[in-house]
Amino acid sequence: MTLSREAVEVHDAILIERSLDEPEIFSVLFDRHAPLLHRYATRRLGPSEAEDIVADTFLAAFQHRGDYDRSRSDARPWLYGIASNVIGKRRRAETSLYRAYIRSGVHPAELSGLRVEDGVGTLAVNRPLAQALLDLSQADRDVLLLVAWAELSYQEVAEALAIPPGTVASRLNRARHRVRHALNRQEQGE
Amino acid sequence: MDAQLKAMWSTIPPATPEELAGARQRLLDGMRPRRRVVTGPRLLIAAGVAAAALVAAPLLGGAGTPAYAVTESPDGTITVTVNELHDPAGLQARLGAAGIRADVTFLAAGEQCAPDRFAGVDETYGGPAATRPRELRSMVDGSRSAKATQVTSVRTIRISPRYIRPGETLVVEFRDNQDARVPWRLGAWLAQAGTSVAPCTPVDDPH
Repeated sequence: MTLSREAVEVHDAILIERSLDEPEIFSVLFDRHAPLLHRYATRRLGPSEAEDIVADTFLAAFQHRGDYDRSRSDARPWLYGIASNVIGKRRRAETSLYRAYIRSGVHPAELSGLRVEDGVGTLAVNRPLAQALLDLSQADRDVLLLVAWAELSYQEVAEALAIPPGTVASRLNRARHRVRHALNRQEQGE
Repeated sequence: MDAQLKAMWSTIPPATPEELAGARQRLLDGMRPRRRVVTGPRLLIAAGVAAAALVAAPLLGGAGTPAYAVTESPDGTITVTVNELHDPAGLQARLGAAGIRADVTFLAAGEQCAPDRFAGVDETYGGPAATRPRELRSMVDGSRSAKATQVTSVRTIRISPRYIRPGETLVVEFRDNQDARVPWRLGAWLAQAGTSVAPCTPVDDPH
């Protein structure tokens, strides 16, 4: 049942090409990538927004599938790039999630039963992280979280956001610096 | 630093097919040929499903599962679970007991009620046609009918009485969707106070 990564990569581009004539094929792409895209959106905006993010992302992807660069076998950078735009339109939902977390220490999608056992220690790290994410610009946050949470490579982030790799590197450096600073401050404060 | 950030909220799991059913349905709906004209009475059928968190689950059916259930919450909302399209009069009476003057119709697949059964409180019933999804969405978002009745999962709707004014009738039409994952589709509107709601005359839905 598990497909090798190569097999999956080849399939994305072919699927998208075939979906031009047979639109229903596009739902296979959804089934393949929506679970993790939903998780990514849930982490950033919370569970109540995630469904809309996923639906809007795939609808936009479907409508623009004719523009897909079929030399790119893996569709993830393309999909996460679209998702970044969709998320950017709801940045208020994102910032209010971080604010609520800083206040309450609870992410709405983390079930209490699933909390790691050292919840207090986690909170001591996550709170300053949430504050740092809150303080980042949308562009820097996109780059940082596409790497850390969506696990895209630099090159893939560059493709996703249609920016040069050098820009990815500089945004990532700036974002990491801020985050590190926030964590250090926390440690010194404790 | 990267490790800590990667670990942040990493216990959030990938979405299950149930959690994705609503978004998947919206994608499938969006794949159909565009530029269809969406007429008033169909609005909420489409929008209700679009707004819903759809849950994929086998049809419960069988003995011991009630066709429907009505529960009142402390916040004043009323949750209606519809497992089977059976006994609309019973559901209507049960809603009446919960303080909701309702008109409930269950329809077979491919059917709709003939239009102009009643005078709606807003444009979602019998109003001008919306031709584009966005137009439809904004029309629905602004309507009291949509606020009064929200689809909260494939089997449940939530009625918020605070959006229903005295004398208004909540008109709900459930249509068999012939899909175990999404057993019915809903049309829900408010009929103006002091007006009557004609019985549903089922007609073929050409869409």
